[in-house]
This record gives sequence, C-alpha cells and structure tokens, in this order.
Amino acid sequence: MNEVSMVIVMVGALSGVLVWLLVPGNKSSASPDAGSFGDGDHSLPRARHYQYFPQIRQALSAADARYLNEHASPDAARKALRERRKVAQRFLQGLHEDFSSLARLGRVIAALSPEISRKQETERLILTLKFQVLYSLVQLRLYTGSVPLDQIAGLTGLVGRLAIRMDEAMAQVSALSMGPLGQNSRA
Amino acid sequence: MNQLETFLSWSTLTVEIVLCGFVFVRGLQKILPFFAIYTSTLLMSTISVWLIYAHYGFNSDVSYYAYWISVLINAVARSLAIVELCQYGLRAYQGIWGLALRVLAGLSLLLLAHAAIDAWGQPNALGIYGMTLDRDLAFSSMAILAILFVIRHYYGIALEPVQRALAAGICFVCAVDVIANTIFHNILANYLISFFQMSQKAFWPALQPQLQRVDDVWSTIHLFSFMFTMGIWCYALRKPIPASADAPVLLPAEVYGRMSPAVNLRLSAFNDRLVELLK
Repeated sequence: MNEVSMVIVMVGALSGVLVWLLVPGNKSSASPDAGSFGDGDHSLPRARHYQYFPQIRQALSAADARYLNEHASPDAARKALRERRKVAQRFLQGLHEDFSSLARLGRVIAALSPEISRKQETERLILTLKFQVLYSLVQLRLYTGSVPLDQIAGLTGLVGRLAIRMDEAMAQVSALSMGPLGQNSRA
Repeated sequence: MNQLETFLSWSTLTVEIVLCGFVFVRGLQKILPFFAIYTSTLLMSTISVWLIYAHYGFNSDVSYYAYWISVLINAVARSLAIVELCQYGLRAYQGIWGLALRVLAGLSLLLLAHAAIDAWGQPNALGIYGMTLDRDLAFSSMAILAILFVIRHYYGIALEPVQRALAAGICFVCAVDVIANTIFHNILANYLISFFQMSQKAFWPALQPQLQRVDDVWSTIHLFSFMFTMGIWCYALRKPIPASADAPVLLPAEVYGRMSPAVNLRLSAFNDRLVELLK
C-alpha cells in the first residue's frame, strides 16, 4: 500500500470515529451533563433484572428439564427447550445491561472524583473490553446450543448479589455527595 | 489565479468576515478566546496575503513565502484553538482532566515530534516543508480530537452543540487538508523532484503549466473545503450561545478510593463466570 492510500485509509478511519462521536443523537453527545450522569432516577445504575432471577433460575434448572422430559410429550419438551434457550439469551442480555450499569457506576464515580488512579481506570477499561469479547463468545455458543443451560442459571446468583451491592453502593454515593448526582441530573 | 480561484478567494474572504462577525456578536471570544483569535488570524492572513499578491504579483517569490508563512501561522492558531476545545468543560472534572491531559500531552508530543522529523527530511523548499508540516499538524489535530472525544464519550461528558460544531468543522478541514496535501506532496516530492534539479533546467518551462494545474486543483479543493467548514461554524453561531452548564459538584476523594476497586472486583467476577461458561 503506498503512502497516499495509507493516509486516505487512516484519515477515513479517523473521520469515521469522529463522525460517530460528533453526530447528535449519539447517546453521549445527545444529552450533555444530564445524560452523563443521569436523567432523574432512570440514570442511576441499578440491576433491574434482579427481580426476575428466581423465576429464571427455576426455568433453567436441571430439575425443571428432567420434569419436562419425564412428563411432557417429546414435541412439548423440544418446544420448552427452545423457549428455555430464548429465556437464557434474554437473561444474558440482562446480564450485559447489569454489567454496563456497574461499569457506568464506576465511570460516574471517576468523573466526579477530584483524583483518579490510572491503574484503576485502565483495569476497568480492560475488564469492559474483555467482557464484550466473552459475552459475544457465550452468545455464539448459546446460539449453537453448546452451553448447558444450568451453567447459565449459575450466573443468576452472581447477578443477584451484585444487584444488592450496587443498590448499597448507589445509596452510599448519594449519601456521601449529598446529591451531586442528583444535581447533575437536574442540570 | 484563474477565474474560479478568484471567485473562491473573494467568497472565502466574505465568509471569513461573516464568521468573525458572528464570533464577536455572539461573544464567543469570552468562552473560547483562542478560537476567536484563530478566526481573526484567518481573516488577517487572507487580507495580508492578498495585499502582498496585489503589490508583488501572484507569482513572485515574496507572495510564495507570504502564502506558506500564513499557512503555518494559521496551523499554529488552529492548534491553540484545539487545545482550548480539549480543556473546555473537561477541566471541571479534575480527575478525568488530569488523566486526559496526560494522554493528550503524550500523544501531542509524539505527533509533533513526528511532524518535525517528517518536515526535516524534506527537500529544502519552503513549499514542501510547509506542506509537510501543515499536513502532519492537521493529522495530529484529528488524532487529538478523536482521542479527546473517545475520552469524553467513555466518561459521558458530552460537548455542547456549538463547541461540537466547531470541532466538527476543524476535523473536516483537517481531513481534506491531510488528503490533498499528501497527494500534492507525493506528486512534488516523488514524481517531479528529479525535474527540479539544475541538470533538468531545460525542462522547467515545459513543466510550469503542469505545476500550475496541480496547484490550481489543490487551491480549489482547499478553498472549497475551507468555505464549507466556515459555513458549519457560521451555522452553529447563527443563534445566541446558550449559557454553559454549571460546574459539577465533586465527590469526596475517598469515595473513589473505596468504591472503584470494589466495582472493578465485581466486573472481574462477571468475566470469571463467563470464562467458566466457555470452558
């Protein structure tokens, strides 16, 4: 590739990134500070999927699968398995949202802190990138049917504990700052 | 100058005057003083170069040097405006600003060093030297703005609409400049450089129209893109600039120290579970 083509490709890539970041309607650029840290209660990171976890755990449990195999017709069992996979996929999406909320909580705290650690920020960035890769791989394997559903069910415990911790963390942040998040959200 | 270039030059001058009018009527000099200086520099350098063209002639050596010096002055003014855009609104977020400053300063030093080395190795002619520096500075500007916006996007600290439009204009003109300067530079420094040697002096008169044509194309592209950019800026400044958002109320320093490691630990637990699923 000669110099001209290389420069054109680099400029094209940079322009693409800039257009994506600058075009209004993009989540970050559409709503300045209010969007950054919140639009009222909706913005505060919280694990919204937690309330459904007991049902999901039940739906994905091995006992449930055994019961279906023993008592339902083969057609009904197959249909139920398909539905269970759909539930597992939706659950994974919920997991992704909860991860994003937690990562966002980390970024909000960093943005509102007078000092931040480069090590912590780099670590969070790497964890986020790693999660994206792993999430895509798990989704792919779930799609191809090579992930046992009871393993997915095992994740519900993690997310449940996380939801409680996140609510506690948000309460702590709000109490400590006497509402800077709220003030930002009203801005 | 051909007719199209004369028309574009007059149009550029008109749009520059309109832009300066918008900048000062809207009071942008109070919010972004370096951007106001940049627009004034553009207008002043256009007028100065025109006066020199009128006095010494378009094809004189003085005009040639005046043009390239004005290009470099404009590039420096643009760089200062970019520095100002980088810190606008981000400075209030002290922690993020400290981090962004380190990243952007490191990147700027690297890119400026590359620009200097690249220009140093060029044939000893102000045109090629200036073009190389201008191109590398434009590329650096784009890279710095891209990193700045990635940081802002990541932390959810958005730029206000007017500042966003100003940044978009700078990015556009820089992108066009980088591509046009690279093509033109490639033609001059690679394909035609052997013809500039004294041994080839006999061919110079025959080469002159070809060079003139390349120069005309380059000037036309540059002026068109520049007018388009100024159009973006004028459009952004057509309405009064809204008041800036209040500075954020920061959290006590110990909150970050306590919560950030906890958040990272939880994120790490998510990843560990996903890894287990994949085994």
